[in-house]
Amino acid sequence: MTKKNHDADVAFIQALAELLRENDLTELQVKRDYGADDSLNVRVSRHMQQQQVVSQIAAPAAPAAAAPAAPAPAAAPRAPAAAESSDDPAHHPGAVPSPMVGTVYMQAEPGAPAFITVGASVAEGDTLLIVEAMKTMNHIPAPRAGTVKRILVEDGAAVEFGTPLVILE
Amino acid sequence: MFSKILIANRGEIALRVVRAAREMGIASVAVHSTADSDAMHVRMADESVCIGPPSGAQSYLSVPAIIAACEVTGAEAIHPGYGFLSENAGFVQVVQDHDLTFIGPTADHIRIMGDKITAKDTMKKLGVPCVPGSDGGVPTLDDAKRLGEEIGYPVIIKATAGGGGRGMKVAQNADEMEKAFLTARAEGKANFGNDEVYIEKYLTTPRHIEIQVFGDGKGRAVHLGERDCSLQRRHQKVFEEAPGPAISPEERAAIGKTCADAVARINYTGAGTIEFLYENGEFYFIEMNTRLQVEHPVTEAIFGVDLVREQIRVAAGMEMSFQQEDLTINGHSIEVRINAEKLPNFAPCPGRITQYHAPGGLGVRMDSALYDGYSIPPYYDSLIGKLIVHGRDRPEALARLNRALGELIVDGVDTTVPLFHALLQEEDVLSGGYNIHWLEHWLETNLGES
Repeated sequence: MTKKNHDADVAFIQALAELLRENDLTELQVKRDYGADDSLNVRVSRHMQQQQVVSQIAAPAAPAAAAPAAPAPAAAPRAPAAAESSDDPAHHPGAVPSPMVGTVYMQAEPGAPAFITVGASVAEGDTLLIVEAMKTMNHIPAPRAGTVKRILVEDGAAVEFGTPLVILE
Repeated sequence: MFSKILIANRGEIALRVVRAAREMGIASVAVHSTADSDAMHVRMADESVCIGPPSGAQSYLSVPAIIAACEVTGAEAIHPGYGFLSENAGFVQVVQDHDLTFIGPTADHIRIMGDKITAKDTMKKLGVPCVPGSDGGVPTLDDAKRLGEEIGYPVIIKATAGGGGRGMKVAQNADEMEKAFLTARAEGKANFGNDEVYIEKYLTTPRHIEIQVFGDGKGRAVHLGERDCSLQRRHQKVFEEAPGPAISPEERAAIGKTCADAVARINYTGAGTIEFLYENGEFYFIEMNTRLQVEHPVTEAIFGVDLVREQIRVAAGMEMSFQQEDLTINGHSIEVRINAEKLPNFAPCPGRITQYHAPGGLGVRMDSALYDGYSIPPYYDSLIGKLIVHGRDRPEALARLNRALGELIVDGVDTTVPLFHALLQEEDVLSGGYNIHWLEHWLETNLGES
């Protein structure tokens, strides 16, 4: 579980982007005051078919920092000194997070070969592993083609929503 | 008894359940969305599981995620708190199907009370007083006039197909009946294509009085008196007290017994609240809430019982720890709801809490999940705390509330605290002489709300 405030901001920005899309708007601007000298300014706009997400975060000591455009507007921390230790797999760009809470199975059935091994190449959509929730076996597909660099969970492990499962590069 | 329970909720009520569990030696599991990773209920619980993204629909309302969280943590029972899945009969069924225990009533009881018409029919059969009316359509003006005499004026004529205030007319006396009846029919026809109308007694200045009941699921039940929750804004309670300033001990004993007997007869399990409108000494059933209420602490204060502990005991198949004769009222209690809302429009005001200080001292309880530096996420309810005071009598409780409000510090966001400072200057609040319309009128006059 990450303990950083910026998760909430990121989610807020994503929610705004969804609002924009769903209501067919072209621009939306929101300012939120967290405190006397701590605020979040977000402007989300969309041109033609292309969506662009721009966020600006203002803090007194730090100049406004522009986050990269979509698809990863997420990365802008509200506090300037929010650097995670670089080996935290949750922040690895190749991390594949669990889309649900449940129990991990590395193979289709007991005794069967594992879906993936470190070093294996996978195509987009290939099953990486299974997360069981409510007696349902959910196959977790590779979000993109790549090589399995690390497997971060063990067979039978409990995972939360967002737990990094594997690193694909 | 359970060794581990999961709390399918967030905020102050999740923390409330964690506290009861800890005192009982039961481990607690908090579930949370990604927006609540830093929330106090997550920090206080023995374990936590992230179950989804910020949207409530994909986290606190996600049945598969919550069941899976039970499975991975080994929790045996689920406390739903209030709101979210607390009155969802389908969820209760799924919980049972997975051999888990729902800390609350059965799916059937939730289903019955969740449907307005079935609930009213059921309560009527159980002897609970309902608003007198026509029990169906009133075909002619003569029928309407006869009913007016029977029920007693004023009465309200409502289009069967109506809603939103259209097709509703009040007749103050027999002379007004003809015009009101014909107008309601015409409006029903024009607006809803159906001119059938029904007639009910019209209550002009009722109070909202609710009776706390508790059943063991085996045919025994008690009542824990009433709460007066008449001070409401847009049907949201803001100030609740027990006992009700307008209710006599005789009235309490009578309506309390009626309610306890009713829920005993249906083998109701756990905490429930039967809500009434009260006018001129009469109670009229509105609805039953099959869960713990936000305002349960005022009842806990005057009876000295822990309702959440009792819910968990009964869910585990144990006896209730008290019987009717053990329940005597001690003093007076008031709760005010602290919302992150900006007056005068009560606009939700999420944001970062720069400083939080809870009031303390004798007879003061603050149920809140706030802490210094906490960021209130924008996705959920604006309730951020409940300040509950207890005194030997109502004047002492009011003085204590005034004192405690003065000690409370919530910096960084706007809250409803100024509303309560203002209300404590009002003669009608100090005397208890208010009804369900009082606060709306006061807000119109003092804050320009309409």
